[in-house]
Amino acid sequence: MVWLPKQSVVVPVDFSDKSFDAVAAALELVEDASHLHVVHVLPSLEPAEPGVIWSTIDDPSRARHAEQAIHERLEEHGLKQAQVAIAFGDPGREIAEYAQKASAELIVLPSHGRTGITRMLIGSVAERVVRLAHCPVLVLRD
Amino acid sequence: MSTARIVRRLALSAVLGFLFLVGPSSGGVARAQVDSAADAPTDEAAIREAAPDANSAVSADGKAETATDEVDGEPVSWIRRQEKHVDELFGKWLVEPLASVLFFNFWSDQWLLVNEKTGKGVSVPFVVLWLLFGAVFFTLRMGFINVRAFRHALHLVRGDYDDPDDEGEVSHFQALSSALSATVGLGNIAGVAIAVGKGGPGAVFWMIVAGLFGMSSKFTECTLAQMYRRISPDGTISGGPMHYLKEGLSTVGTGGTRTFMQGLGVVLSIMFTIMCIGGSFGGGCAFQVNQSLGALKAQFPDLVEWGWLYGVLMMVAVGVVIIGGIRRIAATAEKVVPTMCAIYLLTALYIVLSNYDKLGAAIETIVLEAFSWESVYGGFLGVMVVGVQRAAFSNEAGIGSAAIAHSAARTDEPIREGIVALLEPFIDTVVVCTMTGLVIVITGAYNNPEYADLIDRNQGAVLTSEAFGHVVRWFPTLLSIAVVLFAYSTLISWSYYGERCWSYLFGDRAGIVYKILFLVFVFLGSVVTATNVLDFSDLMILSMGLPNILGVVLLSGRVRRALDDYWGRYRAGEVTRDR
Repeated sequence: MVWLPKQSVVVPVDFSDKSFDAVAAALELVEDASHLHVVHVLPSLEPAEPGVIWSTIDDPSRARHAEQAIHERLEEHGLKQAQVAIAFGDPGREIAEYAQKASAELIVLPSHGRTGITRMLIGSVAERVVRLAHCPVLVLRD
Repeated sequence: MSTARIVRRLALSAVLGFLFLVGPSSGGVARAQVDSAADAPTDEAAIREAAPDANSAVSADGKAETATDEVDGEPVSWIRRQEKHVDELFGKWLVEPLASVLFFNFWSDQWLLVNEKTGKGVSVPFVVLWLLFGAVFFTLRMGFINVRAFRHALHLVRGDYDDPDDEGEVSHFQALSSALSATVGLGNIAGVAIAVGKGGPGAVFWMIVAGLFGMSSKFTECTLAQMYRRISPDGTISGGPMHYLKEGLSTVGTGGTRTFMQGLGVVLSIMFTIMCIGGSFGGGCAFQVNQSLGALKAQFPDLVEWGWLYGVLMMVAVGVVIIGGIRRIAATAEKVVPTMCAIYLLTALYIVLSNYDKLGAAIETIVLEAFSWESVYGGFLGVMVVGVQRAAFSNEAGIGSAAIAHSAARTDEPIREGIVALLEPFIDTVVVCTMTGLVIVITGAYNNPEYADLIDRNQGAVLTSEAFGHVVRWFPTLLSIAVVLFAYSTLISWSYYGERCWSYLFGDRAGIVYKILFLVFVFLGSVVTATNVLDFSDLMILSMGLPNILGVVLLSGRVRRALDDYWGRYRAGEVTRDR
C-alpha cells in the first residue's frame, strides 16, 4: 500500500460523532473532499411497521431523509464536497459491497467495540467489513 | 439480503427444532396428566366419564380422550403422541416455573374467602391487582380523562387536527387502526368466552369496568410513548415503554434519587422488553394460533389429526411476511380487520336484538352475578379477578404494547395521541367484548352442560362459535374463517412489537433470531393444549404490566402537566383545527 493520495475512500457513518471524526480523518488521505464516499446503511423496514402498512414511508423516502441529515452533519464539519450514499440491509455486507462498486482504494471506519452478549450474537460492523471487503480497511481505535 | 441465505437458515432451524421436539420422546411417555388432544367436541359425556378427577390436575387440563382417539390415556396416532409430549414439556418446564414467580398470589388460594366445600380460597395474583390499581390510579390522576376527552378523541381520529408537516409516520387514525389490529383478536372472541365460562356472567361486568378504567392507563402510556420517542435520521420512529422507562426515569429527581431512578429505568426497560418478547410468543402468537385452530377443528372435525399442519401453514404464511419481507400481505391482512370486526359486531347485534325479550334478564344476570358473594365461580372477588384479567389480556391497557404502535403517529402534541389511544380499550372491551359476552349469556352457552367440557379445556373460541351457531346456523363457518384472519393479523402486529423489543436489546441485525423463534412458537401453538398456551400467554402478557405501570406511575406527573397545558389551550380555543 502506497501512501499517495487516494482517488476513492469509503467512510461509513452511523450518525455518531466518532463516525464523523473518521470522515475528517479520512480527509487527510485524499486530495479532495469529493473523493470521499460517505455511506450510511439503513436497516430493512419491518413489514408490520405502521408506516409500512399504511405506505407512508418507504426506502426512497427514508434515503432522502437520511441523505439530508448526513449533508447537514458534513457541513458542520466543513466537508460539503463529500459524496453521500445510502444502502439498505446488513451494514457490514453493504459497506463492503458499496466499496467494491465505488472502486474504493480504502475503507476507513471507527470501531465502537461492542461487548458482552451483543458482540457474541452479532459481532461488530468493523469485523464484518474487514472480513468481507475487497480493499484495505483502516480501523480507527480510540 | 439474499433469499438463499434466508431459506438455508429457515431450513436449518426447522430441522433442529424438529429433532429437539421429537428426539426425547422415543423412550415412551408416562406422565398422562395433560394432553393435547380431545379438541373435537365429540362425545363429551364419554370424556367426562373417562376423567372423573379431571379437576385435580395441576393445570386443570387433565382430560381423557375420546374413545376413537386414545387407548389407556395414550393417543393412538404417532403424531398425536408427539403433540402430547411437546405439551407436557411445555407445561412442566415453561409454564409451571414462570407461574410460581410471576403469578405469585400471596398464597391467597389458601386463606382468602375459603370455600367450605372445596377447601380452596380465591387466588388473587398480584399482577391482576396491580393492573387494576394502575387503571384506577391513572383515572383519578388524569381527572377522568377517559370521560372528558372522549368527544375530542373522536374529532382527532376523524383527522380534524392532522398536520401533514408534523413529524411521525402515520396519521392518528392509521396509528389507532394499527394498534387495534394487534388488540382485536382472539382475546375478544375466545377470551370473553373463557371469562364467562370461568367467572360466570358477572365477569362481563368486570371486564367492562376494567375496560373503562383501562382507557386512562392507555392514555397515559401512549402519551409517554410519544413524549420519549426517538426519531431516526431516516424519519422512522421508535418508541414504546422500553424508551420512556429508560429515558423518562433518567431525568426524575435530583442527586441520589436521580441515580436511583436512572438505574431503575434501565432495569424496568429491560424487564419490559423481556416480558414483551415473551408476550409476543404467547398471547400475540401461540394463543392466537391455538384458539383459531380450536375453532377450525370444531367446525371441520376432519382436521383433528391435522393440527400440526395448520401450525406449519401458519408458520409459512407468517414467515413469508416477517422473514421474506412481502409487505403487501401484512398490509392487506391488517386492513381487513375493521371489516371483519364490523361483520362480527353486526351479527352479534342481530343475535342480541332478535332475542330482545331476553336482553333485560341477561343484563340483570350480568350485574347481579358481578356482586354476588355466593356464586359458584368463587364469589365477588373470584369473578372480578377473572374479569379484570381477561379484559387486560384483550385490550392490553397498562401492558404497554400498544404504546409501541402509537409512538409512530404524526403529531407534535403527545397528549393528542394519548387521547386517540384511549378509544382502544373502549372499542375492544366496552364494545366488542361486551357483544361477545351478551351473545354467550343470552344464548345460555356458558351454563349449557353440553359445553362444560369446552370451558374446562379453555376452548373459548369454540364456545363463542357454538353460541353464535345457536341463532345463526351458518355463522360458525364464517367465524372460523374470520378467526383465522384475526389471528393472522394479530400475529403480524405482535411480531412487530416483539421484534422492536428484541432489536432494542440486541440491535437491528439480530432480528432474524427473533423471527425464527417467533415461528417456532407459531408451530407450538398448534400442538400444545389450550390451557398450557393460555397460562403461558397470561403470564407473559400480564407481567408486562409490572415494570410498565410502575414506570408510568412515576412519570404520571409529567403527563398530567402536559395534559393540563394542552387541555387549557384546547378549552381556550387555541388549539387549531387544520381543516
